[in-house]
Amino acid sequence: MSSYSRRDFLRFLMTLSVAGLSSYLSGCKTMESTPTMKPTEGVNALIGASTATNQPAAEPSAGEPTSTQADTETGAEEPTSPQGAYLAVARGQAPGPEELTRRAIAAVGGIEHYVKQGADVIVKPNICNAYHSPEYASTTNPAVVAAIVALCLEAGAGSVRVMDFPFGGTAQNAYEMSGIAQAVEAVGGQMELMNSLKYQEVAIPNAKALNRTQVYADILTADTVINVPIAKHHSGAGLTLGMKNLMGTILNRGALHANGLHQSIADLSTVVKSHLTVIDATRILVANGPTGGSLNDVREMDTVIASPDVVAADAFAATLFNMIGADIGYIKFADQLGLGTMDLKSINIEEIDA
Amino acid sequence: MSASAIRKLRPWVQVLAFILFIVLLAAVGRVSFLPADLFFRLDPLVGMAGMLAARRIVLPMLIGGLITLVLTLLLGRVWCGWLCPLGTVLDWVPSRKVGPKEADLNPRWRQVKYFLLGLIILAAVLGNLSLIFLDPITLIYRTVVSAIWPALVAVISGAEQALAGLPVPGLLDVVVEVDNFLRRTVLPTTQPVFGLSGLAVLLFGLVLALNAKRERFWCRYLCPLGALLGLVGKISWLRRATNDRCIECGRCARVCPTGTIDPQKGYTSDPSECIMCLECAPECDKQAQEFHGHLAPALWQPYDPSFRQLLVSAGAAVVVVGLSQVIPQDKRTQPFLLRPPGATDPDFLSQCVRCGMCIQVCPTSGLQPSLTETGWAGIWTPVLVPRLGPCDYSCNACGEACPTSAIPALTLEDKRQKVIGHAYVDRNRCLPWASSRSCITCEEMCPVPEKAIQLEEVIALGPDGQPITLQRPYVVQERCIGCGICENHCPLSGQAAIRVYTATDLGISQPWG
Repeated sequence: MSSYSRRDFLRFLMTLSVAGLSSYLSGCKTMESTPTMKPTEGVNALIGASTATNQPAAEPSAGEPTSTQADTETGAEEPTSPQGAYLAVARGQAPGPEELTRRAIAAVGGIEHYVKQGADVIVKPNICNAYHSPEYASTTNPAVVAAIVALCLEAGAGSVRVMDFPFGGTAQNAYEMSGIAQAVEAVGGQMELMNSLKYQEVAIPNAKALNRTQVYADILTADTVINVPIAKHHSGAGLTLGMKNLMGTILNRGALHANGLHQSIADLSTVVKSHLTVIDATRILVANGPTGGSLNDVREMDTVIASPDVVAADAFAATLFNMIGADIGYIKFADQLGLGTMDLKSINIEEIDA
Repeated sequence: MSASAIRKLRPWVQVLAFILFIVLLAAVGRVSFLPADLFFRLDPLVGMAGMLAARRIVLPMLIGGLITLVLTLLLGRVWCGWLCPLGTVLDWVPSRKVGPKEADLNPRWRQVKYFLLGLIILAAVLGNLSLIFLDPITLIYRTVVSAIWPALVAVISGAEQALAGLPVPGLLDVVVEVDNFLRRTVLPTTQPVFGLSGLAVLLFGLVLALNAKRERFWCRYLCPLGALLGLVGKISWLRRATNDRCIECGRCARVCPTGTIDPQKGYTSDPSECIMCLECAPECDKQAQEFHGHLAPALWQPYDPSFRQLLVSAGAAVVVVGLSQVIPQDKRTQPFLLRPPGATDPDFLSQCVRCGMCIQVCPTSGLQPSLTETGWAGIWTPVLVPRLGPCDYSCNACGEACPTSAIPALTLEDKRQKVIGHAYVDRNRCLPWASSRSCITCEEMCPVPEKAIQLEEVIALGPDGQPITLQRPYVVQERCIGCGICENHCPLSGQAAIRVYTATDLGISQPWG
């Protein structure tokens, strides 16, 4: 103690304050350089709602991923029109969720179309709470998630990270309770905790409700983002599907609720983009969502929907609940913003009944 | 091995015990290589008072307490000198060095600890545990849990944030990796905040500051656990004794941290006060002191408790118990008194030893030490403050952690059925009710399988005077368990527009007192 003089103490204080000041200043700098994105980029990155709608792609070739080798030099972050259907639905009890997932993805161009050699892939399932095991249909079916992870790795992905930010319970508990952690790790994917240090303030130009929000940085920079929601009931949103699932990539979700949930979800979708949406409707939750907890509210649908267009995928999933896209506010608003199409008649849909 | 050689081990044993204390504290609810409540089990005061007040045997505490008592019977107050984390901290805090003549303040001060011991035990016999917060293990645990640890978490998080903000390529990823590792192992996922951290630090600081008066002031004069072990120490087997080779140089008295080596009594010491630190051993080069086995009880000292003092303690205990009834909470339930799942007043007050383990283990930091909710008699008992953190539907950690089962250990299934309180919507503030704006956050959050919060759809006039369809939340009381996630997530700033109230049988506020 005696060797520690007043001068040492002052020096220590000086160092601390310099460190504090520099970190403060550097904090300011990052604030200024937050990335902004134009909503039009969102449309382009999404395999183009308009392009694909106007020029239906080549004949769909289900289960034939080899037929989709075009565009290899195009960056995975901006895939162009797939050599497959615009939207695919795989149904059937016999094949199981994993096979349904594989067939649906094959039908929309095959995984190689979305995942390039060495790509950094993020898979975003719905793991919204740590309350129930997957049979309760409150979290995405682990078999569907694992199938996607396996497909990505087979396609040569550099890394496949799976993540969500639950509102109920800790992420670690939720990952385990949902069965997703075990399933993903078994096929070689990684579960990632969404660390609060990694969120980045993003401006949303032309937003109608949500002007700024903090988004998990890697979601914005990953080569491929695959959105894997479970289709389920939600009182406020009507249904929680693909775009609603992307709320899991932001830090402050409370603000969305109070500022017009539907418009905010649509606004968010202009900056948080997924390259492929795979909706897990193997089991759907028809009431008491998004948390669930009663098997009486669960319906076995044995259905998996895949599309590069999240709006179309959501609109199709709505039909499983006897609704149409226009019934769900955020689907309607996203369609209006040109993020995709909810007009199912205008797109090439491949239905696979297995 | 000579006493001087054994003495050299003491700082190491102290550091190891202290590290163990902190590791068990940080890892409560995560790892199980040792019971996380080890130090409470080994604390015979917490065990004795806790079991007496609750009128039931808590086997792990009984066994642990007996281990420490037997250890004391054999070796004297080694607990205080070698193991107690508070004692260790007091050894690290600088203290005033005085000559052997003034080593002891007025010896009558030593009576205070016996008075406190008598008070705590006798109040416990009468079913009151209010003063157990003076137990040294609960004192240091509570301070670390509610103040020092959260402060450390804040500093670590702040440093990580500062580092992450530096414009160094790749640094962010490293910081995130480190942070993820820390969160997985020791750090909580969210920053804990506690209303009573200031008071805990104040009390703890006072205990440390008293070192400026005399070394280990707390252990000598105040510590009720030290008093209990001191009484056992009276008949401990191993004791320090002096022989006629003593030349009264006074060096032993000068180093004695408890000032029990008394020049007036030929440099003998009282085994009730001696903490077996062996600091005196290397001081004597005349072989005038020995550490030997003894069977006869040590001399009764003037400051040792008398029958009269016991009566004083008993009287004070009656006053304490009487005062603990003079609180408004006894007449009418506090509207927002929410206990951890399964704990019910008034029994809880006689079972909770105010240790703070539940507060440490609560993942949302919704469990808070109470100051006023239960009156002064319930100070530092845990209450749920849903606005700060809800009772996580996927967690039953508090019951698992509680060393006295004051919070019952429930399976997750059972815990999910336990009613903590009932939520009520404040229609004067709720967005769809009061402002015609749509919001269903509370309903969305409600974790009960058949949601306790339901939405009624109405067509009302919107803010612009046009009719709009609104979903207005209301609570089905029979389904509500009072977990408070609705109150926690209510997007209104400040007070939520849905609040959890103390559960009553009627589901409506209690009409009579």
